[in-house]
Amino acid sequence: MKRRMFFFSLISLCLAAPVTAFGQKGCESDGEPHRYFLVLAGRSGTFYDKSGPAFPMLIKLDGERTQVDAVGLSSIQGKRMFGTVPEESYREFMKELPAASDVMLRLEITSAQYERGLKVLRTWERRVKEDALLYPDVSMDNILLVKQVTESLNQCGEKEIKLYKLDWGFEDKISDNTLPSRIPFLFFKEMKRLNESLHVRDDKFEEYRSAAARPAKQ
Amino acid sequence: MYRRNLFANFMSDNSAAPKSPFTPHPASPGAKRFTNALLRTHENKEVKFYDDLIKGRQVIINYMYATCEGACPLVTSKLIKVHKALKDRMGKDLFMYSITVKPEQDDPAALKAFAEMHGAANLPGWLFLTGDPYDIETIRFRLFRWNHIKFDLDLSMHTSMLRIINDATNRWVMVTPEAEMYTILKHISFADPPKSFEEKLEEHKAIQKKIDEEVKQYGYRKII
Repeated sequence: MKRRMFFFSLISLCLAAPVTAFGQKGCESDGEPHRYFLVLAGRSGTFYDKSGPAFPMLIKLDGERTQVDAVGLSSIQGKRMFGTVPEESYREFMKELPAASDVMLRLEITSAQYERGLKVLRTWERRVKEDALLYPDVSMDNILLVKQVTESLNQCGEKEIKLYKLDWGFEDKISDNTLPSRIPFLFFKEMKRLNESLHVRDDKFEEYRSAAARPAKQ
Repeated sequence: MYRRNLFANFMSDNSAAPKSPFTPHPASPGAKRFTNALLRTHENKEVKFYDDLIKGRQVIINYMYATCEGACPLVTSKLIKVHKALKDRMGKDLFMYSITVKPEQDDPAALKAFAEMHGAANLPGWLFLTGDPYDIETIRFRLFRWNHIKFDLDLSMHTSMLRIINDATNRWVMVTPEAEMYTILKHISFADPPKSFEEKLEEHKAIQKKIDEEVKQYGYRKII
């Protein structure tokens, strides 16, 4: 049985390889029944400069378990930390938060968007592990991470999600007038305003989660 | 153990064994900043960025890409002039590295074709480099960072700058390749190893001789 499973995964790996090798940006959805979500979570007023944790989080509901990947700036015992966000830090952003100092936008995405986002998160995790961050100030690295994750969303003509253009241009009201540490929070707020209609509310998310878990129970 | 190491270091410093010609400055940031990423040259040779290319050397680094039709060909032709002007030093105590900003497109063969097109493929001390996009990005930010995300993400900003580093003296200089040759050579000299008093004296004597000749010939100093 084990040998047959191994053989089957080897064949599926060989079949999948050309797709990843030639699919330039990873645009192909795998057509799996799983559901994927991107959460942009942020808070202000936690650190001395009035900034706070801000990170993107990718969620995969695959029936038996919920896989969560979060990388960015988080607060661990009041200290600013950049890297993989620990569970106790991202758990509170799994639900909508009513306070004005918090922001949480939950968007349903495709498997291709999820894979592209995950690739960005994995690269930043590697940068942290290898001490290969691009800026001496982690706030700048966090802006780059947030920018790369959100910009990876619409790469294959998926125009549904409206992006705020964080480009230090004339129309960008956030970047030039704000401390780098506060930019991701304000960016998430603006993204939430632009995509309010796409935001997946708590009750809907719980519905999806229980629906995804149902076949596994049978 | 510590004492033994200390003793071994002391002995090795005073030994008569010949030292490597390339010794880094004690304050050099070393591989921690430069990284020891594995890169490939236009000759398809694998090199470690810090250990093989930077350590203890004086280098001129620029970014380019093979299909660039804007600044890169102009910068490369300017670098050929720089190479000609400093040909006695090139490959001995001065090196030139052109790193691609588009490693996904530029493999060693593409870089070789670009180098051959500009007549730079076989010039001593000049390498065209490619590698993993992750490493190339890290090196680009570590050497050419402006600390402004808009500029740092704009690849064209990096193709129009030359970074001159002397790891033996820990001097870093930056100059635009659009500057006049005199300015570029002057900037390269800012990173040169310090000269001895005798060398400086000889240099100043030669300059004074030139001034005296001019004053004698024209009645005033012509060249500044």
